[in-house]
Amino acid sequence: MKKIIQRIIVVGLFALVGIQFIPANLNKQEVIPTSDIRYVYDIPDRVLNILETSCYDCHSNNTNYPWYSNIQPARMIMDHHVEEGKEELNFNEFKNYSDRRKKNKIKSIISQIEDGNMPIPSYALMHNDVRVSADDKKEVMKWFKTKLKD
Amino acid sequence: MKQFNLKLIAMAVVGGLLFTSCGNSSNPDNNGHHEHQEGMDHDHSTHQHGESTERNVTSNNGEQKGDLIPVLEKYFSLNAHLVSDDASSAAKSSEKMVTALKAFKGTGFTADEQTEVNEILESAIENAEHIAENAGEISHQREHLVALSTDMKDLIAIVGSSQKLYEDFCPMANNNEGAMWISNKEEIHNPYMGNRMPKCGKVSRVIE
Repeated sequence: MKKIIQRIIVVGLFALVGIQFIPANLNKQEVIPTSDIRYVYDIPDRVLNILETSCYDCHSNNTNYPWYSNIQPARMIMDHHVEEGKEELNFNEFKNYSDRRKKNKIKSIISQIEDGNMPIPSYALMHNDVRVSADDKKEVMKWFKTKLKD
Repeated sequence: MKQFNLKLIAMAVVGGLLFTSCGNSSNPDNNGHHEHQEGMDHDHSTHQHGESTERNVTSNNGEQKGDLIPVLEKYFSLNAHLVSDDASSAAKSSEKMVTALKAFKGTGFTADEQTEVNEILESAIENAEHIAENAGEISHQREHLVALSTDMKDLIAIVGSSQKLYEDFCPMANNNEGAMWISNKEEIHNPYMGNRMPKCGKVSRVIE
């Protein structure tokens, strides 16, 4: 029995070392594209700040990688989130969405925040800095709601 | 007997709720109040028959620029599943709707219409995909149905329809913001409220 446990630990360690060699994606683009949402609307600084800190990691072409992103399997999980997040909504591409889709996106942004699905709770748990206070959430939702009206 | 009483009370409460909330309709339809007084008797669906003359009717006698039947069929079955709170069947219908939307081809559009049709299709596909992917979260499905229904309405307006359709509106759907949907039946089957209030809403426009 003891031997089996030992073996499992050894295999596990090897696997952990092994997966460190899995290539990681890099989502980096320092220049803000002209199709970014800030060039579509006049966004208040506070709202834009919140978006950049707490949403842009997965919803833009520029991820701010945390230290643990250099370690697998954390990076795999993160790459997956970034890929899915960008497909769903990319603030850097916002100008390219049709008006109809812009409206859809804004509606989804509001409801995702309202329901507490975004930012993803596990992600917010890992970084203190991306966590959004209830007050900030309200501010973001309030601003997006004004954009639904015009 | 006791159980019967409880049932009666529950029915009265639900009925009361239904009446008051639907009565607060912000629907721009001019006859809202009048209609609701008439509709005070229990059956929500029948009172609408008598009103048909006053209803807003949009005729669609222009040429049809495509066949929306395959898309609408899936859309109607998606709605029917949501009426009965069946999220996983709704997801399956929605998946088929995605296929139908992707296969849709119209003809004779002006350049502007073509651009708009493309935008509508893109949005509709995205919404239908979300519904297909969210078999576990019916509220999320219904949220996307709000947008998908608008897409359908706008698509029908451009493409035309060979069948008689109804635009229904429920003021309580979408977190009391109200939402519309398209139906091929005159009776109300509300996809947003499900079993809670399948009859809430009314026909706001007939497309024929």
